[in-house]
Amino acid sequence: MTLNLSDLSKTYGQFKFGPFDLRVEDGVLAVLGPSGSGKTTLLSLIAGITEPDSGSICLNGRELVGHPLENRDVGMVFQEGALFPHMTARENIAYAATTAARVDGLAATLEIEDILNRSPPVLSGGEYQRVALARTLATDPAVLLLDEPLSSLDTPIRRRLRDELHSLFESLDIPILYVTHDQRTATALGDRIAIVRDGMLEQVGDSSTVVEQPATEFVARFTGNENLFEGSVIEHSEQGVTVRVGDVELQTATSNIGQSDITVCIHPSRVEIKPSRAPDDEQIINTITGTVTRWLNEGSEYQIEMATSWGSPALTASVHPPVFERLTIDTGTELQIMIPPSSIHLMPNRG
Amino acid sequence: MATQSKSSPSETKIAGFGWLSVTLLFGGVLLAYYIVPVGSLFLSVPPTEVLGRMNSPIIVDAAKTSVLSASISTLIATVFGLPLAYWLARADGAAQTAVLGIVVLPLVLPPVVGGIVLLTVFGSSSPLGEAAIAAGFPLTRSLAGVILAQTFVASPFLVVTAKVAFERVAQTLEYASRSLGKSRWHTARRVTIPLAVPGIVAGVTLTFARAIGEFGATMMLAYYPRTMPVQIWVSFIELGLENAYPVAILLVGIAGVTLLVINIIASNPWE
Repeated sequence: MTLNLSDLSKTYGQFKFGPFDLRVEDGVLAVLGPSGSGKTTLLSLIAGITEPDSGSICLNGRELVGHPLENRDVGMVFQEGALFPHMTARENIAYAATTAARVDGLAATLEIEDILNRSPPVLSGGEYQRVALARTLATDPAVLLLDEPLSSLDTPIRRRLRDELHSLFESLDIPILYVTHDQRTATALGDRIAIVRDGMLEQVGDSSTVVEQPATEFVARFTGNENLFEGSVIEHSEQGVTVRVGDVELQTATSNIGQSDITVCIHPSRVEIKPSRAPDDEQIINTITGTVTRWLNEGSEYQIEMATSWGSPALTASVHPPVFERLTIDTGTELQIMIPPSSIHLMPNRG
Repeated sequence: MATQSKSSPSETKIAGFGWLSVTLLFGGVLLAYYIVPVGSLFLSVPPTEVLGRMNSPIIVDAAKTSVLSASISTLIATVFGLPLAYWLARADGAAQTAVLGIVVLPLVLPPVVGGIVLLTVFGSSSPLGEAAIAAGFPLTRSLAGVILAQTFVASPFLVVTAKVAFERVAQTLEYASRSLGKSRWHTARRVTIPLAVPGIVAGVTLTFARAIGEFGATMMLAYYPRTMPVQIWVSFIELGLENAYPVAILLVGIAGVTLLVINIIASNPWE
């Protein structure tokens, strides 16, 4: 299945969506963007809730624009679930399913057999969204759209359901668009990520590419990368480009940068830290000294901000708790920072 | 001093008691103003006498006319009003505001003026009225006239109440239904209307109650056949206040049933 959006645009008062071009193959495309960026508009246009001002939406060559919701073969899980409150969970799924066996099959897949006779108002958040998903899947849609279905759930339930969705999505051979404003959910579920900003597609690509090689500063910051530094190219070599950030020279593995003024982007997870004065440090390229100015426990990892010899802004590294504890990190701790050349991404300077 | 700016528990209690006392005093006066006259009406005539007078053919005829005409005008209001109420609930912008203004016009017009307005269209000297008389179906001084008057005055209750009921059905539920491959009609039948039913029932009940109590416009358009409110007026003018009591008590009873329906049947179980 292929969903192809071409030159899609829609204007609501002051908000302009598009022109938007996107091709979605089988697999999960996580649509990531801040509130009001047009993520839900994108889903509404594909589902047929809203008609575009111009452009085309093709599903396997079939034009969807102009066709009502009910004839699009597009399934949608709404942010708030949108279960019919006057029907039980079973009746909600049966509303869409053609046979009782299909209802039972989906209930088994989504592990909701025990709650089928309950009314939506008494379901927990996780149960509610499972039923909503089962109901949508009951129609065997050609495309599945999910509009932040986990956003209202508590963290433990969200994590569990996210893992289960990952397994479920792998079993579906259809294009899936999963809208979220949470980068972790996007990278966990998305085979690819599309970043949307102000109604425009900022970048689309493999999850790791978008996160580690952002096309713009907006993409970098929105995917959790605050390590953006102004720099300049000082040398091209076979190994790659050497850049200068402040007084520090960094060897990169990048060779295809045309500009001399660039923005150096280093994902926090790619920054390696070690205790200071390790004996072989001088042998390792891109090794600098940093002093911890601030650290933050984010549960599964620590964010460590360090002042470096290249001045402000601070460099951030994200490390797992065992590393943090082994290095006995606190404010003022001096560390050796190593940045592998392959972890340095260069972007043309916006100036 | 800081201690002076804070209320002590006893002060709070007194203040709370004072506030409650004021609300009870003012609200109580108003409540008494509602209840005392109604109670007085029931106490004015012994129940046996009321029941006895209700067997009068004049009163029975008036009751039949009222119930029949109010039922038909409520049905008309429902059939024509529900689609309009749904449109009003889902539309927005200047057109919606203008249409809503037109819908509530009969509510703000004095009923007698409503009757005059209707006479300009349906009166015996109007083209439509003349044509109807020629066809043997007069639109004034007839049951049709009663129904026209009642529908004009009462139908806005249906539209406005049902509009609110439809608005309370999240449009996302309709989108969800249609994205599951169901048509607009199927969605309306299985999702929208069932969820709006309590509000619609409230609207139908209010419309019926308003129609059966309609007097001003009905007097102008169809003095005959007499409805219960018209009969009350005639009894009061011709025979005195006491003779108006039985029908008045009957209408108060209908109002009581209306309240009961709105509070019990029309309550929304999904909220």
